Amino acid sequence: MPYVRILGFVTLLLRLMAAAGPVLAATPMPADQAFQLRAQLDEEKGIELTWTIAPGYYLYRDKIVVTLDGQRVRIATEKGQPKDDPNFGMTEVYHAGTTATVPAELLPEKGRIIVTYQGCGENTICYPPIAKTVDMATLLIAVAPEDNEAVNRPGNGSSAADISTWGPSPADGAGAESGMLGGSLLTIVLAFLGFGLLLSFTPCVFPMIPILSGMLARSGSRLSLTRSFALSASYVVAMAAAYGTLGIFVAWSGENLQTVLQTPLAVLGMSALFLALALSMFGLYELQLPQSWTARLATSAGNRGSIGGAALLGFGSALIVGPCVTPPLAAALVVAQTGAVARGSLALFALGLGMGLPLIAFGVLGARVLPRSGAWLARVKHIFGFVFVGLAIWMASRVLPVALTATAWGALFIAIGLYFDVLALFEEPRWRSASLARAGAAVLALFYGCVLLIGAALSDYGPLQPLISIGAVASSADAGSTEGFQVVSNEADLDKAIDLGRRQGRGIMVDFSADWCTECRLMERNIFAKDEVRQQLRGMLLIRADLTHYDLSSKNLMQRFAVVGPPTVVFLNPDGSEIKDARVVGDIGVDNFLNKVAKAWRA
Amino acid sequence: MTSSISRAGFLRLAALSLFVVPAQTRADDNEITRDMILNDPDAPTAGNPNGDLTIVDFFDYNCPYCKKAATSLEKLVKADGNIRLVYKDWPILHETSIVGARLALAAKYQDQYLPVHHALMDIPGYGISQEQMLDAVRKTGVDQTRLDADIAAHADDILRLIKRNLNIAEAIGLQGTPGFLVGAYKVNQALSYEGFVRVVADARARAKK
Repeated sequence: MPYVRILGFVTLLLRLMAAAGPVLAATPMPADQAFQLRAQLDEEKGIELTWTIAPGYYLYRDKIVVTLDGQRVRIATEKGQPKDDPNFGMTEVYHAGTTATVPAELLPEKGRIIVTYQGCGENTICYPPIAKTVDMATLLIAVAPEDNEAVNRPGNGSSAADISTWGPSPADGAGAESGMLGGSLLTIVLAFLGFGLLLSFTPCVFPMIPILSGMLARSGSRLSLTRSFALSASYVVAMAAAYGTLGIFVAWSGENLQTVLQTPLAVLGMSALFLALALSMFGLYELQLPQSWTARLATSAGNRGSIGGAALLGFGSALIVGPCVTPPLAAALVVAQTGAVARGSLALFALGLGMGLPLIAFGVLGARVLPRSGAWLARVKHIFGFVFVGLAIWMASRVLPVALTATAWGALFIAIGLYFDVLALFEEPRWRSASLARAGAAVLALFYGCVLLIGAALSDYGPLQPLISIGAVASSADAGSTEGFQVVSNEADLDKAIDLGRRQGRGIMVDFSADWCTECRLMERNIFAKDEVRQQLRGMLLIRADLTHYDLSSKNLMQRFAVVGPPTVVFLNPDGSEIKDARVVGDIGVDNFLNKVAKAWRA
Repeated sequence: MTSSISRAGFLRLAALSLFVVPAQTRADDNEITRDMILNDPDAPTAGNPNGDLTIVDFFDYNCPYCKKAATSLEKLVKADGNIRLVYKDWPILHETSIVGARLALAAKYQDQYLPVHHALMDIPGYGISQEQMLDAVRKTGVDQTRLDADIAAHADDILRLIKRNLNIAEAIGLQGTPGFLVGAYKVNQALSYEGFVRVVADARARAKK
């Protein structure tokens, strides 16, 4: 009876732990489970970091450190219990829980602090320092990027003075991230400038033309070029500033909203809102502020024709005028989701600037330079409609199943393709190169949409993967190497899983594993995480039978297939019978494992 | 345990490594092999080099429970006489942990790893200062000049060994110190003498199957 020995081992551990006193699980728990961190905002005091500490575990008081931009922040910690072990000297520790306060005056409105802390399990284990980031705006806690300097800062002087920093891949830490931020900022600004320019050819900007021209006209019979440039430029910059301010406002008020905005319901709601905006872009209805407001603004403010007056007029008209509520609102919503104040408002500023550039041209050169309004103008609106639908899908993709998202993308691309092809066929019978190119792009979009739809229809997992990597479908899931396993710990669950395989006609792989099993970890790393292996296992139902806790259920699990102990991998036919040839015991290396998988497929 | 020498790699880990590793030697740095864990030529060892069971000890010189457990473990290794012990310096707890690891691993070049290791493990508690460590090492009577020279000359080798140890610990899913591999079993906590006795018995029983 091999499992009797395992039983012996586990009972031994249990007995040891009983002797040690504190209540412990069979193996020490993961550090995040032993020390659970929460962050709360107290208006007066600042940010309160609260740890819930599992029974039998403790945190060191002097190891709780908060840093902001690499600078240590002064925090208030509670008095701890002196560790009664004489070995520890004056060390103070916390049991059960503690709270540390980061004073409000030391914190910026936005950004992230890094909290490091460290502790042990009584008489059993000491964990390496744990580093978490706390986002000031959302109070969301995340694993801090690896920063070995903070944790392993070398000591100074002495014979071991040349201790260099070491640790896992220092390159992919904070440096890479800051580079990325710097790079994409310019892209964002340019992109929004472009959007604004596009928007300026929609009815968005037209209501502003009479306002601007009225101002220019009132300011004197003869305007020099420089004067009219200065006036229209200040009008436009003020208008852009208004959008930028809107961005700041939304992002700030969004801070508190942000956590709420991440809930599935809110995400779906926003996605619906975008759909509504898209419909308005397609001309189903107009979103517009009352006409009277516009009229009053045109007559009251800015009569003097001074630069300040022009600026005032620009600022005001941006907020009040015309059907332009939609694009800035949409952009603002995106900003609110990301919560980046500076970037968001800069982007909106660029948007306003882009929208205003043609206005400057108009102010300086007169009405001739503005393009004629026409059917093409409606088309620009429609393009924005498609962009909004895309945004709606993108938002919803976070809560919708992958297959549904792919279907939606597919439908959108087909719609875009049809839209342009229909245009090319009927409205513009002339075969110019531009329309040909557009028709070609439209055909591509059609094709891509169809592929996405087929992918979505064929399967819920497999064939979709390559499409995800090509396409715009957000692929947040399936990142981890050991993902994809369904974990069972008793026979009933195993039967359910096998039954699922039978109904779907899929072969099944059952991996018998346990937390205490070293070789299982190695197999996960050396075999299951390998791309070629995952490729081969695609289409198979992957089940992990967890034998960590030795009890009647896990005993039955092992007996079911006469498994001696982990790691053992058993392959089953879709009908639930074992493919005996393919059984794998122990870590046998990638190549041998792949041979076994091939055997399982042939069976 | 009177198993023959041909079954020196008796425990399943080693048996399998004999079976698999020669078949396919991969030049993949990320691949952690059993051989790397059990037979890293740079990793210090103790006990019976031909013992029928290998215990791999992952520890930190700032880990109070490692120190307690090590006392029991060393006692058992001595009493048993058929256990091979592999030391994996795993400096993760404190700024000075790396200092200790470097001192001990550099002492290996003058065959003084064990005295330095024990001297460092004998400083009780957590948060040991660099001065305390240097003090303890000085008292062992190792050649101090040689030690300094070796720390400088072999800095890269030592660093690589420590990195290997870090990777291994991560690969096998150790959460913290101490961690022990006793045959096929992973024990990620400090054990008492009796605890080690039982795990060793279980590991041998399992390896025999």
